Amino acid sequence: MTWLALSSNEWRRRPLRQGVTTAGVAIAVAAMFSLLTFHDGYRDGVRNEIERLGAHVLVVPKGCPYDAASIALHGANWPCYLKSNYLQEVAGTTGVASAAPAFMAALAAADGAPVVFVGIDERMLALRPGWKFDGAFPRRPGEVLAGAEAARLRHWRVGDQVALPELSATGTISGILNATHGADDSFLYTRLQDAQQWFQHRGELTHILVRLKDANLLEPTVAALRGCDAGMDMNVVPLAHLFRTIQRLANSTRLLLGSVAMIALLLAATGVSNAVLMSVTARTREIGVLRAVGASRGHVFGLIWLETMQICVAGGIIGVLLAFAGSHGVESWLRSGLPFAPSDALIRWDWLTAGLCLGGAALLGSFAALLPASRAAGLAPLEAMREGAKT
Amino acid sequence: MNGAFIEATALTKVYQRGREQIRALDHVSFEIRRGEFVAITGPSGAGKTTLLSLIGCMDAPTSGTLKISGREVQGLSERERTRLRREEIGFVFQHFGLIPTLTVAENVALPALFAHRNGATRLDELLARVGLTQRRAHRPHELSGGEMQRVSVARALVNQPKLILADEPTGNLDSATGESIIALFQQLNRDGMTIVVVTHNAAMSAAARRQMVLRDGRIVEAQGE
Repeated sequence: MTWLALSSNEWRRRPLRQGVTTAGVAIAVAAMFSLLTFHDGYRDGVRNEIERLGAHVLVVPKGCPYDAASIALHGANWPCYLKSNYLQEVAGTTGVASAAPAFMAALAAADGAPVVFVGIDERMLALRPGWKFDGAFPRRPGEVLAGAEAARLRHWRVGDQVALPELSATGTISGILNATHGADDSFLYTRLQDAQQWFQHRGELTHILVRLKDANLLEPTVAALRGCDAGMDMNVVPLAHLFRTIQRLANSTRLLLGSVAMIALLLAATGVSNAVLMSVTARTREIGVLRAVGASRGHVFGLIWLETMQICVAGGIIGVLLAFAGSHGVESWLRSGLPFAPSDALIRWDWLTAGLCLGGAALLGSFAALLPASRAAGLAPLEAMREGAKT
Repeated sequence: MNGAFIEATALTKVYQRGREQIRALDHVSFEIRRGEFVAITGPSGAGKTTLLSLIGCMDAPTSGTLKISGREVQGLSERERTRLRREEIGFVFQHFGLIPTLTVAENVALPALFAHRNGATRLDELLARVGLTQRRAHRPHELSGGEMQRVSVARALVNQPKLILADEPTGNLDSATGESIIALFQQLNRDGMTIVVVTHNAAMSAAARRQMVLRDGRIVEAQGE
């Protein structure tokens, strides 16, 4: 006979009640685990995505700068364009180290997935020092640098002559990017002029990626860019500001979800406390017998505390596993409600967060146990046996 | 026999029920020596169970003194009373008081858990003594009334107490089964155990070496050694 065996008795006696109570804790812990891992995943995802761009400033056409940033990061069709000659003004602005032009367009494939073409020139390489690829950068007409995933899906190899997907044109795979684990993996990079020609936007750009000589001089450089002649026709988006703004928007979502998770935790604690209290009331006589055969108040308190902890820790473990198992569904739901969602996984396994959630569940159990355990421990043996005999 | 094991002097217990005062015990005095087998009898409401609860340190007297093993019970703290109950007294209840989800073996070992003792060491011996060796893995609902009361007796013995207190131990049993419990109590007493039993059962009362009859909270008759 052990304390653990004795305290697990309620599971045999009332499995449904114990199961439902545990499920309540599991749901609350799952919500908390998803929220905490989402917080870290989202922050890291946005930061990684912006860092992968390799720029300090994004110059985009007039309109919502966040929509434009999202398109530049994830790939899609642009609603309006910049004139190519703005590039010279941008590149010549004080504090700008390099400015890389880009023309991006997307076509829907038969399976519904977009095929994203990005026209660039060699100035992009200065912004992406981390890029590694087999083969060569596209320098001749029709040459394509394929993202790792795009090439894998289509079984392309360097040197292949290929029909460009969804375009009535052929091209040569001049190079294949090594995996970046970002949106670049699914893009098809071509010469800037080719993209402008294929999509009939000669002399136009979708965005310009700007790297500064000194990142500490972001504010004066952004002011200078906004003040140049082309400044009236373009949006200058400092990516550090973008990161902060996106985080702020996400924080408001997180706050809302956090409130829901906290309420769920409080409700779970109340549910646990109530269920254990009912169990104590139903076992008043039994507690009296335990006191009669030698259990002290401390023993009874410990017994009820252990029972409550079993519910909460089991709920915690189930909740964390449930959250991880259902992370794809939760992630899809979160993406549908977020103003900006990075392509990286938003919810991922994290031991520290899992430990934190289990610790939280144990803490919840300790609080939930206080009332029923105190009540049980406070029962005088004789009164408990008499009271129990009436019920 | 040895000196007084239980010594009650002018023991009084008054319960308050609303505005009404109920004098359950009224200046009761007696001695019980080690190794005695005492039956407390009397009509319902005479104060038998109240007296047993006081001897079992489950309740405190309103006035008077009660000494067990030379210690005044009313001077003991809650913790000390629990320890006394755990180490020196074994309880047998009319309704058995078994935990329905535990096996026979687990029920018997339960007091040992609270005493931080290894109940397993005495388990085989106790189950053999009450004739339940084959039933050790069964749960209470799988046992007859007599068997449940035997489990209750084995549980009362696991911490090697000096005193067994039994409240109507045959009250829920048929007469044949009741006789086997009486025989078990007699055997325990022959082995030196002090037994105090509250009973309405004439056979149980006759089996005891001494009888105390309570009426309206007072001892009205004492027979035996």
